[in-house]
Amino acid sequence: MSDDIQLPERDDDFLAAEYVLGLADGDAMAAIKARLRDDPSFATHVALWQERFVAMTDDIAPVAARKKVKRAVLTQIFPKASVPLLDRLWVWKGITVAALVLAAYVAFPTLRPSDPALPDTVYATQLRGDSALEVLAVVDPNGGEIALRTLAGSAPEGRVLELWAILPDQAPVSLGVLPQGDAVRIALPEVYAVVVRQLTLAITDEPVGGAPDGVPTGSIMAAGTVSEL
Amino acid sequence: MDRTEIEGLIARVALKDRAAFEALYDRVNAKLFGVCLRVLNKRAAAEDAMQDTFVKIWNNADRYRANGLSPMTWLITIARNTSIDRLRARRKGHMDVDTPGLELAAPGPSPEQYAVAASEAKKLSGCLDTLEADRGAAVRGAYLDGQTYADLAAKFGVPLNTMRTWLRRGLMALRECMS
Repeated sequence: MSDDIQLPERDDDFLAAEYVLGLADGDAMAAIKARLRDDPSFATHVALWQERFVAMTDDIAPVAARKKVKRAVLTQIFPKASVPLLDRLWVWKGITVAALVLAAYVAFPTLRPSDPALPDTVYATQLRGDSALEVLAVVDPNGGEIALRTLAGSAPEGRVLELWAILPDQAPVSLGVLPQGDAVRIALPEVYAVVVRQLTLAITDEPVGGAPDGVPTGSIMAAGTVSEL
Repeated sequence: MDRTEIEGLIARVALKDRAAFEALYDRVNAKLFGVCLRVLNKRAAAEDAMQDTFVKIWNNADRYRANGLSPMTWLITIARNTSIDRLRARRKGHMDVDTPGLELAAPGPSPEQYAVAASEAKKLSGCLDTLEADRGAAVRGAYLDGQTYADLAAKFGVPLNTMRTWLRRGLMALRECMS
Protein backbone atom coordinates (compact mmCIF):
# COMPACT_ATOMS: atom_id res chain seq x y z
CA MET A 1 0.00 0.00 0.00
CA SER A 2 2.89 2.36 -0.69
CA ASP A 3 0.51 4.42 -2.82
CA ASP A 4 -1.45 5.44 0.23
CA ILE A 5 1.61 7.02 1.73
CA GLN A 6 2.20 9.19 -1.28
CA LEU A 7 -1.48 9.91 -1.63
CA PRO A 8 -2.96 10.67 1.78
CA GLU A 9 -6.28 9.03 2.53
CA ARG A 10 -7.92 12.32 3.35
CA ASP A 11 -7.47 13.83 -0.03
CA ASP A 12 -10.67 15.83 -0.21
CA ASP A 13 -10.65 16.33 -3.94
CA PHE A 14 -10.37 12.61 -4.56
CA LEU A 15 -12.93 11.79 -1.88
CA ALA A 16 -15.34 14.24 -3.51
CA ALA A 17 -14.77 12.74 -6.97
CA GLU A 18 -15.35 9.24 -5.60
CA TYR A 19 -18.55 10.40 -3.96
CA VAL A 20 -19.85 12.01 -7.14
CA LEU A 21 -19.01 8.92 -9.17
CA GLY A 22 -20.93 6.83 -6.63
CA LEU A 23 -17.83 4.94 -5.56
CA ALA A 24 -17.71 6.16 -1.97
CA ASP A 25 -17.70 3.37 0.53
CA GLY A 26 -21.04 2.63 2.18
CA ASP A 27 -19.44 2.94 5.61
CA ALA A 28 -17.94 6.32 4.80
CA MET A 29 -21.23 7.68 3.50
CA ALA A 30 -22.53 9.10 6.79
CA ALA A 31 -19.29 10.96 7.37
CA ILE A 32 -19.29 12.30 3.83
CA LYS A 33 -22.83 13.58 4.17
CA ALA A 34 -21.97 15.32 7.42
CA ARG A 35 -19.00 17.01 5.78
CA LEU A 36 -21.10 18.03 2.80
CA ARG A 37 -23.44 19.76 5.20
CA ASP A 38 -20.85 21.42 7.38
CA ASP A 39 -17.72 21.89 5.33
CA PRO A 40 -17.95 24.51 2.57
CA SER A 41 -14.60 23.55 1.13
CA PHE A 42 -15.60 19.90 0.76
CA ALA A 43 -19.01 20.88 -0.62
CA THR A 44 -17.19 22.94 -3.21
CA HIS A 45 -15.07 19.98 -4.29
CA VAL A 46 -18.23 17.91 -4.72
CA ALA A 47 -20.10 20.57 -6.69
CA LEU A 48 -17.16 21.14 -9.01
CA TRP A 49 -16.84 17.43 -9.78
CA GLN A 50 -20.57 17.27 -10.47
CA GLU A 51 -20.13 20.12 -12.91
CA ARG A 52 -17.16 18.38 -14.60
CA PHE A 53 -18.51 14.85 -14.75
CA VAL A 54 -21.89 15.92 -16.13
CA ALA A 55 -20.01 16.47 -19.40
CA MET A 56 -20.11 12.68 -19.80
CA THR A 57 -23.80 13.10 -20.62
CA ASP A 58 -23.15 15.66 -23.39
CA ASP A 59 -23.13 13.00 -26.09
CA ILE A 60 -26.32 11.36 -24.88
CA ALA A 61 -29.04 12.12 -27.40
CA PRO A 62 -32.31 13.51 -26.06
CA VAL A 63 -35.22 11.09 -26.23
CA ALA A 64 -38.70 12.48 -25.62
CA ALA A 65 -40.42 10.54 -22.87
CA ARG A 66 -43.84 9.14 -23.68
CA LYS A 67 -46.82 11.30 -22.72
CA LYS A 68 -47.88 8.89 -20.04
CA VAL A 69 -44.73 9.67 -18.06
CA LYS A 70 -45.75 13.29 -17.67
CA ARG A 71 -49.24 12.21 -16.71
CA ALA A 72 -47.85 9.85 -14.09
CA VAL A 73 -45.62 12.60 -12.68
CA LEU A 74 -48.47 15.09 -12.49
CA THR A 75 -50.82 12.56 -10.95
CA GLN A 76 -48.27 11.74 -8.28
CA ILE A 77 -47.55 15.36 -7.43
CA PHE A 78 -51.04 16.75 -7.79
CA PRO A 79 -53.34 13.99 -6.67
CA LYS A 80 -56.82 14.96 -7.62
CA ALA A 81 -58.57 11.82 -6.55
CA SER A 82 -61.71 12.08 -4.57
CA VAL A 83 -61.11 15.19 -2.55
CA PRO A 84 -64.42 15.91 -0.90
CA LEU A 85 -66.26 18.80 -2.48
CA LEU A 86 -66.12 20.80 0.73
CA ASP A 87 -62.32 20.61 0.76
CA ARG A 88 -62.16 21.82 -2.78
CA LEU A 89 -64.46 24.70 -2.12
CA TRP A 90 -62.39 26.41 0.53
CA VAL A 91 -59.74 27.41 -1.98
CA TRP A 92 -62.26 29.37 -3.89
CA LYS A 93 -61.78 32.82 -2.49
CA GLY A 94 -64.26 35.62 -2.49
CA ILE A 95 -67.22 33.78 -1.14
CA THR A 96 -67.91 32.02 2.08
CA VAL A 97 -68.01 28.29 2.01
CA ALA A 98 -71.46 28.23 3.46
CA ALA A 99 -72.87 30.55 0.82
CA LEU A 100 -71.14 28.72 -1.96
CA VAL A 101 -72.24 25.29 -0.87
CA LEU A 102 -75.77 26.46 -0.35
CA ALA A 103 -75.79 28.15 -3.72
CA ALA A 104 -74.21 25.26 -5.56
CA TYR A 105 -76.52 22.85 -3.84
CA VAL A 106 -79.61 24.72 -4.81
CA ALA A 107 -78.47 25.67 -8.26
CA PHE A 108 -76.99 22.45 -9.36
CA PRO A 109 -78.27 19.25 -7.79
CA THR A 110 -75.55 17.06 -9.29
CA LEU A 111 -73.04 18.89 -7.09
CA ARG A 112 -74.57 17.50 -3.97
CA PRO A 113 -71.76 15.78 -2.14
CA SER A 114 -73.88 12.70 -1.64
CA ASP A 115 -74.33 12.28 -5.36
CA PRO A 116 -72.22 9.35 -6.51
CA ALA A 117 -72.05 10.87 -9.99
CA LEU A 118 -70.08 13.84 -8.70
CA PRO A 119 -68.12 15.07 -11.70
CA ASP A 120 -64.37 14.80 -11.47
CA THR A 121 -63.80 18.43 -12.26
CA VAL A 122 -66.04 21.31 -11.35
CA TYR A 123 -65.78 24.69 -13.00
CA ALA A 124 -67.29 27.74 -11.47
CA THR A 125 -67.07 31.46 -11.03
CA GLN A 126 -68.68 34.22 -9.15
CA LEU A 127 -69.82 37.07 -11.36
CA ARG A 128 -69.58 40.49 -9.78
CA GLY A 129 -68.80 44.03 -10.79
CA ASP A 130 -69.68 47.62 -10.06
CA SER A 131 -73.38 46.90 -9.66
CA ALA A 132 -74.98 45.13 -6.74
CA LEU A 133 -75.50 42.08 -8.89
CA GLU A 134 -73.70 38.93 -7.75
CA VAL A 135 -74.29 35.66 -9.50
CA LEU A 136 -72.75 32.29 -8.88
CA ALA A 137 -72.17 30.16 -11.97
CA VAL A 138 -71.31 26.49 -11.98
CA VAL A 139 -70.31 25.22 -15.40
CA ASP A 140 -70.82 21.65 -16.47
CA PRO A 141 -68.99 21.41 -19.80
CA ASN A 142 -69.92 17.77 -20.30
CA GLY A 143 -73.58 18.31 -19.65
CA GLY A 144 -73.50 21.47 -21.77
CA GLU A 145 -75.04 23.60 -19.09
CA ILE A 146 -74.40 26.51 -16.81
CA ALA A 147 -76.30 26.70 -13.56
CA LEU A 148 -76.65 30.20 -12.20
CA ARG A 149 -77.79 31.42 -8.88
CA THR A 150 -78.33 35.06 -8.08
CA LEU A 151 -76.84 35.90 -4.70
CA ALA A 152 -77.62 39.61 -4.72
CA GLY A 153 -79.02 42.32 -6.97
CA SER A 154 -81.36 42.18 -9.93
CA ALA A 155 -82.00 43.70 -13.34
CA PRO A 156 -82.72 47.44 -13.41
CA GLU A 157 -86.39 48.34 -13.79
CA GLY A 158 -87.61 47.60 -17.32
CA ARG A 159 -84.44 45.79 -18.34
CA VAL A 160 -83.38 42.15 -18.54
CA LEU A 161 -80.12 40.39 -17.76
CA GLU A 162 -78.24 38.76 -20.61
CA LEU A 163 -75.40 36.27 -20.21
CA TRP A 164 -72.31 36.39 -22.44
CA ALA A 165 -69.48 33.98 -23.07
CA ILE A 166 -66.15 35.65 -23.75
CA LEU A 167 -62.98 33.95 -24.91
CA PRO A 168 -59.61 35.75 -25.02
CA ASP A 169 -59.41 38.20 -27.93
CA GLN A 170 -62.89 37.39 -29.13
CA ALA A 171 -66.14 39.28 -29.15
CA PRO A 172 -68.75 38.27 -26.56
CA VAL A 173 -71.21 35.64 -27.67
CA SER A 174 -74.69 35.73 -26.21
CA LEU A 175 -75.77 32.69 -24.24
CA GLY A 176 -79.24 34.14 -23.82
CA VAL A 177 -81.39 36.24 -21.55
CA LEU A 178 -81.48 34.97 -17.98
CA PRO A 179 -84.92 33.57 -17.14
CA GLN A 180 -86.72 34.89 -14.08
CA GLY A 181 -85.80 33.22 -10.84
CA ASP A 182 -82.94 32.93 -8.40
CA ALA A 183 -81.67 29.62 -9.75
CA VAL A 184 -81.69 29.10 -13.48
CA ARG A 185 -79.98 27.07 -16.13
CA ILE A 186 -78.62 28.18 -19.46
CA ALA A 187 -77.41 25.89 -22.21
CA LEU A 188 -73.68 26.05 -22.95
CA PRO A 189 -72.83 25.43 -26.61
CA GLU A 190 -70.58 22.45 -27.09
CA VAL A 191 -67.74 24.54 -28.54
CA TYR A 192 -67.04 25.89 -25.06
CA ALA A 193 -66.53 22.49 -23.47
CA VAL A 194 -62.88 22.28 -24.48
CA VAL A 195 -62.01 25.90 -23.70
CA VAL A 196 -63.89 26.16 -20.44
CA ARG A 197 -60.67 27.11 -18.60
CA GLN A 198 -60.36 30.26 -20.69
CA LEU A 199 -63.98 31.22 -20.45
CA THR A 200 -65.16 34.48 -18.94
CA LEU A 201 -68.84 34.95 -18.22
CA ALA A 202 -70.41 38.40 -18.15
CA ILE A 203 -73.88 39.74 -17.52
CA THR A 204 -75.16 42.94 -19.08
CA ASP A 205 -78.46 44.71 -18.75
CA GLU A 206 -80.32 44.85 -22.03
CA PRO A 207 -83.71 45.95 -23.36
CA VAL A 208 -86.52 43.44 -22.93
CA GLY A 209 -86.00 40.64 -25.43
CA GLY A 210 -82.24 40.89 -25.25
CA ALA A 211 -79.53 42.73 -27.15
CA PRO A 212 -81.00 43.40 -30.58
CA ASP A 213 -78.09 42.42 -32.83
CA GLY A 214 -76.32 39.87 -30.70
CA VAL A 215 -73.98 42.61 -29.52
CA PRO A 216 -74.09 43.83 -25.94
CA THR A 217 -75.54 47.32 -25.63
CA GLY A 218 -75.98 47.77 -21.89
CA SER A 219 -73.44 48.06 -19.13
CA ILE A 220 -71.54 45.08 -17.76
CA MET A 221 -73.14 44.49 -14.41
CA ALA A 222 -71.07 41.51 -13.34
CA ALA A 223 -68.36 39.27 -14.78
CA GLY A 224 -66.14 36.42 -13.69
CA THR A 225 -63.53 34.09 -15.11
CA VAL A 226 -64.30 30.42 -14.91
CA SER A 227 -61.82 28.37 -12.97
CA GLU A 228 -61.42 24.80 -11.87
CA LEU A 229 -62.69 24.14 -8.40
CA MET B 1 -30.23 25.54 -23.45
CA ASP B 2 -30.96 28.93 -21.97
CA ARG B 3 -29.60 28.98 -18.46
CA THR B 4 -31.60 31.99 -17.29
CA GLU B 5 -34.84 30.50 -18.56
CA ILE B 6 -34.31 27.15 -16.84
CA GLU B 7 -33.22 28.89 -13.66
CA GLY B 8 -36.33 31.05 -13.72
CA LEU B 9 -38.51 27.98 -14.09
CA ILE B 10 -36.79 26.19 -11.21
CA ALA B 11 -37.26 29.29 -9.04
CA ARG B 12 -40.98 29.26 -9.78
CA VAL B 13 -41.19 25.51 -9.17
CA ALA B 14 -39.67 26.21 -5.75
CA LEU B 15 -42.75 28.36 -5.13
CA LYS B 16 -44.90 25.37 -6.11
CA ASP B 17 -45.98 26.88 -9.41
CA ARG B 18 -47.56 24.05 -11.35
CA ALA B 19 -47.50 25.82 -14.72
CA ALA B 20 -43.76 26.43 -14.33
CA PHE B 21 -43.26 22.79 -13.41
CA GLU B 22 -45.04 21.63 -16.53
CA ALA B 23 -43.05 24.08 -18.64
CA LEU B 24 -39.81 22.83 -17.07
CA TYR B 25 -40.84 19.26 -17.77
CA ASP B 26 -41.59 20.03 -21.39
CA ARG B 27 -38.30 21.85 -21.74
CA VAL B 28 -35.94 19.24 -20.25
CA ASN B 29 -37.69 15.87 -20.27
CA ALA B 30 -36.03 14.66 -23.47
CA LYS B 31 -32.49 15.32 -22.19
CA LEU B 32 -33.23 13.76 -18.81
CA PHE B 33 -34.99 10.77 -20.33
CA GLY B 34 -32.01 10.24 -22.62
CA VAL B 35 -29.80 10.06 -19.54
CA CYS B 36 -32.13 7.68 -17.67
CA LEU B 37 -32.32 5.47 -20.74
CA ARG B 38 -28.53 5.46 -21.16
CA VAL B 39 -28.02 4.34 -17.56
CA LEU B 40 -30.89 1.87 -17.24
CA ASN B 41 -31.07 0.70 -20.82
CA LYS B 42 -34.71 -0.34 -20.47
CA ARG B 43 -37.60 1.88 -21.31
CA ALA B 44 -39.90 0.86 -18.46
CA ALA B 45 -37.16 1.28 -15.85
CA ALA B 46 -36.12 4.61 -17.36
CA GLU B 47 -39.71 5.82 -17.21
CA ASP B 48 -39.92 4.93 -13.52
CA ALA B 49 -36.67 6.76 -12.91
CA MET B 50 -38.03 9.78 -14.77
CA GLN B 51 -41.05 9.85 -12.52
CA ASP B 52 -38.86 9.73 -9.40
CA THR B 53 -36.59 12.36 -10.87
CA PHE B 54 -39.33 14.88 -11.46
CA VAL B 55 -40.90 14.28 -8.07
CA LYS B 56 -37.48 15.02 -6.54
CA ILE B 57 -37.20 18.15 -8.67
CA TRP B 58 -40.60 19.29 -7.46
CA ASN B 59 -39.77 18.56 -3.82
CA ASN B 60 -36.25 19.98 -3.80
CA ALA B 61 -36.39 22.93 -6.17
CA ASP B 62 -35.98 25.28 -3.23
CA ARG B 63 -32.58 23.75 -2.54
CA TYR B 64 -31.26 24.29 -6.00
CA ARG B 65 -29.71 27.68 -5.27
CA ALA B 66 -28.01 26.50 -2.13
CA ASN B 67 -26.19 23.87 -4.10
CA GLY B 68 -24.88 26.37 -6.60
CA LEU B 69 -24.76 24.08 -9.64
CA SER B 70 -25.70 25.25 -13.09
CA PRO B 71 -29.35 24.36 -13.67
CA MET B 72 -28.84 21.67 -16.31
CA THR B 73 -26.09 20.08 -14.21
CA TRP B 74 -28.42 19.97 -11.25
CA LEU B 75 -31.27 18.44 -13.24
CA ILE B 76 -29.11 15.93 -15.11
CA THR B 77 -27.31 14.93 -11.91
CA ILE B 78 -30.64 14.16 -10.24
CA ALA B 79 -31.71 12.06 -13.24
CA ARG B 80 -28.37 10.26 -13.34
CA ASN B 81 -28.24 9.59 -9.59
CA THR B 82 -31.84 8.41 -9.51
CA SER B 83 -31.15 6.03 -12.38
CA ILE B 84 -27.98 4.69 -10.76
CA ASP B 85 -29.91 4.13 -7.53
CA ARG B 86 -32.51 2.11 -9.41
CA LEU B 87 -29.86 0.16 -11.24
CA ARG B 88 -28.15 -0.73 -7.99
CA ALA B 89 -31.34 -1.49 -6.13
CA ARG B 90 -31.37 -4.71 -8.17
CA ARG B 91 -27.88 -5.59 -7.03
CA LYS B 92 -26.56 -6.29 -3.60
CA GLY B 93 -24.30 -3.86 -1.80
CA HIS B 94 -26.62 -1.10 -2.89
CA MET B 95 -25.36 2.40 -2.08
CA ASP B 96 -27.37 5.56 -2.39
CA VAL B 97 -26.15 8.39 -4.51
CA ASP B 98 -27.96 11.45 -3.37
CA THR B 99 -29.94 14.19 -4.93
CA PRO B 100 -27.53 17.11 -5.08
CA GLY B 101 -28.42 19.71 -2.51
CA LEU B 102 -30.42 17.28 -0.46
CA GLU B 103 -27.99 17.74 2.36
CA LEU B 104 -27.84 21.47 2.50
CA ALA B 105 -24.20 21.94 1.73
CA ALA B 106 -22.56 24.98 3.14
CA PRO B 107 -21.95 27.69 0.50
CA GLY B 108 -20.71 26.07 -2.65
CA PRO B 109 -18.25 27.24 -5.25
CA SER B 110 -17.84 30.86 -6.25
CA PRO B 111 -18.90 31.96 -9.73
CA GLU B 112 -15.24 32.04 -10.74
CA GLN B 113 -14.68 28.46 -9.59
CA TYR B 114 -17.73 27.48 -11.61
CA ALA B 115 -16.55 29.16 -14.72
CA VAL B 116 -13.32 27.20 -14.42
CA ALA B 117 -15.11 23.91 -13.77
CA ALA B 118 -17.42 24.52 -16.71
CA SER B 119 -14.52 25.15 -19.04
CA GLU B 120 -12.74 22.08 -17.66
CA ALA B 121 -15.87 20.05 -18.31
CA LYS B 122 -15.63 20.87 -21.98
CA LYS B 123 -12.29 19.06 -22.05
CA LEU B 124 -13.46 16.08 -19.99
CA SER B 125 -14.32 13.82 -22.86
CA GLY B 126 -11.08 14.46 -24.70
CA CYS B 127 -9.08 14.06 -21.52
CA LEU B 128 -10.77 10.78 -20.59
CA ASP B 129 -9.59 9.47 -23.93
CA THR B 130 -6.01 10.44 -23.19
CA LEU B 131 -5.97 8.42 -19.96
CA GLU B 132 -4.67 4.90 -20.06
CA ALA B 133 -7.62 3.17 -21.67
CA ASP B 134 -8.70 1.20 -18.61
CA ARG B 135 -8.75 4.26 -16.39
CA GLY B 136 -10.94 6.29 -18.68
CA ALA B 137 -13.27 3.31 -19.01
CA ALA B 138 -13.37 2.97 -15.22
CA VAL B 139 -14.47 6.59 -14.76
CA ARG B 140 -17.15 6.24 -17.44
CA GLY B 141 -18.23 2.87 -16.05
CA ALA B 142 -18.74 4.36 -12.61
CA TYR B 143 -20.54 7.48 -13.79
CA LEU B 144 -22.72 6.08 -16.54
CA ASP B 145 -23.12 2.42 -15.56
CA GLY B 146 -23.09 2.69 -11.79
CA GLN B 147 -20.17 0.33 -11.45
CA THR B 148 -18.66 0.00 -7.99
CA TYR B 149 -15.03 -0.62 -7.12
CA ALA B 150 -15.85 -4.30 -6.83
CA ASP B 151 -17.45 -4.30 -10.30
CA LEU B 152 -14.53 -2.44 -11.80
CA ALA B 153 -11.93 -4.63 -10.10
CA ALA B 154 -13.66 -7.72 -11.46
CA LYS B 155 -13.97 -6.21 -14.90
CA PHE B 156 -10.30 -5.33 -15.16
CA GLY B 157 -9.09 -8.37 -13.22
CA VAL B 158 -7.19 -6.45 -10.55
CA PRO B 159 -7.44 -6.40 -6.76
CA LEU B 160 -9.81 -3.85 -5.28
CA ASN B 161 -7.09 -1.69 -3.75
CA THR B 162 -5.24 -1.56 -7.04
CA MET B 163 -8.45 -0.45 -8.71
CA ARG B 164 -8.78 2.38 -6.23
CA THR B 165 -5.20 3.47 -6.81
CA TRP B 166 -5.71 3.35 -10.57
CA LEU B 167 -8.74 5.49 -10.34
CA ARG B 168 -7.08 7.98 -8.05
CA ARG B 169 -4.17 8.35 -10.45
CA GLY B 170 -6.58 8.52 -13.34
CA LEU B 171 -8.50 11.35 -11.72
CA MET B 172 -5.31 13.23 -10.92
CA ALA B 173 -4.20 12.93 -14.52
CA LEU B 174 -7.65 14.03 -15.57
CA ARG B 175 -7.48 17.20 -13.45
CA GLU B 176 -4.12 17.97 -14.92
CA CYS B 177 -5.32 17.44 -18.48
CA MET B 178 -8.44 19.54 -18.00
CA SER B 179 -6.80 22.51 -16.29
